[in-house]
Amino acid sequence: MALYDNKYWLLSHIRNSFISTDDTGMCELVMVGENLPDSLVDALDKYPDTDDSQEEDDEIEHESYDIQLDSDFNVRKFGSNMSSWMEKMDQKRKRAGRSKNIKWESNAEKMSDEDRMKMFAKQEIPKEQPAFKSLLSEQIQNCIRMPKNPFMEYSKFDGSAQVGVPVRKYKIFLTMLPENQKNYPMLVVCVATAKIQELIGLICYKCSSSIVYGDFPLQPVSSYGLYITEEDGEVDRDFPCLDAKECVAKFGFTCLGLVEHKNNKIVTFENSEQLVMRNLEETLSSSEQASAALDESKQLIVDMELMKGHEIAMIAPLYQSYRAFIITKMRSKVEIHLGISGEKLEIDPVHQKNAKFVLSRQKPVSHHMDCIGSCIITDTKSSKTTFRIDYVSVPGNKEIVGSNSLPSNVSMKHYDFEADNATAEEIVQKMNIILDIRSSTSRKEFIATLEKKKEKKGFV
Amino acid sequence: MSGEAGAIGSDQIIFATGGYDHTIKLWQTHTGNCQKTLQHAESQVNMLEITPDRRYLAAASYQHIRMFDLTTTNQNHDFNYEGVPKNVTAVGFEKNTKWMYSGGEDGKVRIWDLRETTNNPHHYEVFAPVTCVQLHPNQSEVFIGDQNGTIHMWDMKTDNADQYIPDLDNMIIDLAINPDGTHLAAVNSKGRCFIWSISGGCKSEERTTILPKNKFEAHPRQALKCKFSPDSNYLVTTSSDQTAKIWDAKNNFKLIKELKHNNKRWVWDAAFSSDSQYLFTGSSDNIARLWNVKDGTIEREYVGHQKAITTIAFRDVFVPA
Repeated sequence: MALYDNKYWLLSHIRNSFISTDDTGMCELVMVGENLPDSLVDALDKYPDTDDSQEEDDEIEHESYDIQLDSDFNVRKFGSNMSSWMEKMDQKRKRAGRSKNIKWESNAEKMSDEDRMKMFAKQEIPKEQPAFKSLLSEQIQNCIRMPKNPFMEYSKFDGSAQVGVPVRKYKIFLTMLPENQKNYPMLVVCVATAKIQELIGLICYKCSSSIVYGDFPLQPVSSYGLYITEEDGEVDRDFPCLDAKECVAKFGFTCLGLVEHKNNKIVTFENSEQLVMRNLEETLSSSEQASAALDESKQLIVDMELMKGHEIAMIAPLYQSYRAFIITKMRSKVEIHLGISGEKLEIDPVHQKNAKFVLSRQKPVSHHMDCIGSCIITDTKSSKTTFRIDYVSVPGNKEIVGSNSLPSNVSMKHYDFEADNATAEEIVQKMNIILDIRSSTSRKEFIATLEKKKEKKGFV
Repeated sequence: MSGEAGAIGSDQIIFATGGYDHTIKLWQTHTGNCQKTLQHAESQVNMLEITPDRRYLAAASYQHIRMFDLTTTNQNHDFNYEGVPKNVTAVGFEKNTKWMYSGGEDGKVRIWDLRETTNNPHHYEVFAPVTCVQLHPNQSEVFIGDQNGTIHMWDMKTDNADQYIPDLDNMIIDLAINPDGTHLAAVNSKGRCFIWSISGGCKSEERTTILPKNKFEAHPRQALKCKFSPDSNYLVTTSSDQTAKIWDAKNNFKLIKELKHNNKRWVWDAAFSSDSQYLFTGSSDNIARLWNVKDGTIEREYVGHQKAITTIAFRDVFVPA
């Protein structure tokens, strides 16, 4: 009993008890960092007995013989190495106990004729089967219209029962579920090579094929994010969700929360069909409803796409300036501003500080939209796209619009430009929309004449 | 997911797939969900077969035949038959699950007494790797195909055997006997299909003889499997030419349907539903498919394997019409 009035020993005992009973490992984490002997001695005993303190310091430093800190802290945190090892041994023993080995006896005596006669006696071949139906056919015919699980493709990332493939185990809290269901995590085992996105798909697949959550309407994979989550299911919103394109093996967290992104930019229109996965044997009427819902959402996508088209058409004639390079006849590039509006195409050279070559200097020019024949992409490289604008050059740059035929002295010319892929595409799209919008009768005639001229030129 | 622990009852359809990824998967056929995954860690699975009493799933593999009890939630095998020095390529059962036959690359066809009434082994040796073994519905004779292109008809009762060589030096890949016991089909490495009519063999003293009946080029490349439908109306052949073909067994083996999928790679195995209306196939794109025989359309896909599916086993359930 003498030990119990030793405050150092008591404190050490309490600390050890905390550490050894706390499975989450939090106590260990907090207490390990402290330099206890010094601080304790200072705080508790203002007048230490020098003889005593030495041995008590030792005692505190030793902590307990049971507890040995090891570096792989995470492993200790969730069931120690020991228990998982015990589990493995136990499984092995069970397997060995249950499985029976039968070995081929190659040296044993041959089977006697009598045995053979008995064992391999000819049996009558059953005549035609009575009229029974196949259960498979019945089940398939009963759910002809069953919608295909959209997450089916992710089932291949399931790591449970994989042999020789590294896997990761996760506790997933499904935060989008109703209150009474979301408090318990779903255990998901995933192959370690999967991406976060594929893990989300696998979670959705497990969710949609489970009996408990089977009715819950799930969104496409892109509208969910995985967040770092506490053991109690509290999502840590201070961190962004795990990058969907990263491999799961990159992250060490074992407890994650699946969160639906509402009204977020990640949600795209193309994917926004809501897929309702019902449980297995659904009645025909409800599957019809589901398909009706699908039709509706498809209509929505078509509408959205139409709207998108209108929007682009509406903003096309508005003036916009792009930065691009014009390729001169000398094959040199000059940086220019390409101004496009519904009426005009303007080419303005950017002021060049070190322009040494007079030849490559570009004069600012402006063309009326009706002089423009076409605008097409001529070449796409990995980083650059070149495109060509055909135009009609009239001496003196006179207006030709409204006249029924082209003046005889016009000539066909073109500009070659180069810009980064996105800009080039935008310019070409904008130009073509403008040209389409302006297709008045006079312009059509103009284009027809242009074609003729081109042909002529080709023959000559 | 309920499947993790699912034991399969006697009233349930059993559909198992296996192959190169060291797992065997059991599927819920009408939903396409994987019900259970069995580990087969030591090697690939060469052939799967379900016992006629629906209790065990046998997996023939390298040097072993493992049997898994389907009626328990146990993930591990319950019986391990060993002593074969090489790959076991074929496995099958007597109709009352009294004994099991196996064929191996060591050239031996072995009879394993499942009820252990006798310790004396019975086997037949063919001096070439055995590729396939088929039991005659009379439960007394087996047909054996080997890599030299020979078909052996082994009478287990008398221990006599007859040999047939339909196409010299072209490996017999698979054999099939229709449930009536009237026709034998064989496919070889050149994609050729041979049909014999079987006569006799039904009564105890009658000698079984086979007569060549038909021969046709089923596939331009190596064939992999052939199987008769339960109603004996169809013969299906699968091949490395990425198709499965259904032939009319009642009408001179005319081609009825060619089942082909865009992504499809080698079609390794096929199995008919008990009413011969549907057909399962397993292929190298890791997916098993269920086809409607009449329309040639895909009804279901079974996704989950990480590597090629090379063997499937299926046992349907009869319901009163």
